[in-house]
Amino acid sequence: MMTGKEYIESLRKYKPRIYFMGRRIESVADDPISAPHVNAAAMTYELAHDPRYEEVMTAISHLTGEKINRFNHIHQSTEDLVKKVRMIRVLGQKTGSCFQRCVGCDAMNAIYITSYNIDKKYGTNYHERVREYIKFVQKNDLMPAGAMTDVKGDRSKRPSQQADKDMYVRVVEKREDGIVVRGAKAHITGVINSHEIIAMPTRALEVDDKDYAVAFAVPVDAEGVTMIFGRQTNDLRRLDGDMDCGNAKYATVGGEALVIFDDVFVPWERVFMCGEYDFAGELVEVFATFHRQNYGACKVGVADVLIGATANVAEMQGIAKASHVVDKITEMIHLAETCWCCTLACSYEGYKTPSGAYMPNPLLANVTKLNITRFPYEWSRIAQDITGGIVITLPSEKDYKNPETKQLIEKYIKGVAETPTEQRMRMIRLVENLSIGAELPESMHGAGSPQAQKIMIARRGNLEMKKELAKVIAGIKEDEHFKKMRGVSEKEFFAKLK
Amino acid sequence: MKIAVKYCGGCNPTYRREEIEEVLKKHFQIFYSGDSELLVCISGCKKGCAGEKAKGNFLHFDEKTDEEEILRRVNKKLSKEI
Repeated sequence: MMTGKEYIESLRKYKPRIYFMGRRIESVADDPISAPHVNAAAMTYELAHDPRYEEVMTAISHLTGEKINRFNHIHQSTEDLVKKVRMIRVLGQKTGSCFQRCVGCDAMNAIYITSYNIDKKYGTNYHERVREYIKFVQKNDLMPAGAMTDVKGDRSKRPSQQADKDMYVRVVEKREDGIVVRGAKAHITGVINSHEIIAMPTRALEVDDKDYAVAFAVPVDAEGVTMIFGRQTNDLRRLDGDMDCGNAKYATVGGEALVIFDDVFVPWERVFMCGEYDFAGELVEVFATFHRQNYGACKVGVADVLIGATANVAEMQGIAKASHVVDKITEMIHLAETCWCCTLACSYEGYKTPSGAYMPNPLLANVTKLNITRFPYEWSRIAQDITGGIVITLPSEKDYKNPETKQLIEKYIKGVAETPTEQRMRMIRLVENLSIGAELPESMHGAGSPQAQKIMIARRGNLEMKKELAKVIAGIKEDEHFKKMRGVSEKEFFAKLK
Repeated sequence: MKIAVKYCGGCNPTYRREEIEEVLKKHFQIFYSGDSELLVCISGCKKGCAGEKAKGNFLHFDEKTDEEEILRRVNKKLSKEI
């Protein structure tokens, strides 16, 4: 297993084509815009070597018997599913950000499960390729980015109906030695500082969409791959020092990029689905279940940091003992732990798939994520409430460091006597970082927008059973247990009472 | 005296787990793997993940414990072992 330092060093050996703000990022490990995201991902490597965390950070590979980083593990039990979310919460706590590596983990697990099912139906050999690929990832402790969301063009049309056929990633050529793919994937977390990209379809497909039913893996610097790193609110604060960022070390959310595949060649051993359109929906659903499971852990880990920051600000401003502040901070904890309950529940309720790998309960995983589209807004609202208007009016680090204004800021931005002004400023910036900007929309849309979860919940919520229950209780349908308990039917029972 | 320490993953601890190890370090040689006279499992909460698969001569802490109590329990275990 690589250490954090070795991971950072490993990135310098890759030469991905990445653009940001009209320039090329030459080294993701060293560029001030991407370095904090690299640091966050490095934490996933570093903690695997720390005895205080290795219990959740590592696993034994069922493929090789070797000790591996849990992010590269195929879950072999519900215990593994639970350990994954425990690991993810810890990493949210340690980075106060997104550490990006769960997407590749979920992609590998989803493809592992689906490739087995494809082979069973069509007699293909995708599953063996997936196993070999995962062994390669495990052996080299690589970080693959999972790339699912296509750019989609006109959302009312399926892939094959688009005016521009490249709105979804597709196979443009099949050769003896592999395939050539074209298209683009949007908002791909952590891809600029990954070693590999695992691409998957983004939606259920029909027979006309066959060319779009493609899953594959390529190195991030494969020929024809271009990434355009997305802007974030306040991203250029990274160039102005460390105070104004709030979380200068690990940034905010994962750092997402548009990934363009411009006729990229993929050798057959790295192709995991090619034309099996009837399995695209399953792959999406399995991946989404894994990824939605995570959000009740990573966001809760980040919430732990925000709750701590809010409590610190309250102390620094002399309001920590006010009853409404105590109540509000307790409410933040309640909201966060509610989400934690959800993620644990969907993990404990997980099950074994025909491939032997385990996956979380899809209904509960979707409920987990749907709560995450709501609760972080509420705990952020409370954090801003307690922190006060200064969360958006605080003077900058440059003014704080300017000899002409420093003493004025020292004097007038001070809270309680025992807290240095700079510490109060840093804590307020952390609240700002975690409750304003990219963090909230990421909670909303990461792992799928709320409507995607609603669709899954509606599909799996077994409404018919609930309607039947109501009919029995309302006396519209016969209650078999009532009859056994009372020895007569409901009608006869109530007739006697009259 | 060789004491091995095994931590849980620390996802939602109710106290600072390192406090237990800090006490042990003051009095014993601590290892994270390999043979030892005693295995001390440190869990952050009552779920007790660190102790779930422990075997042999082991001791399990799952809540904040003062130094005196830690030493009492460790010494008791070690004296039994001897």
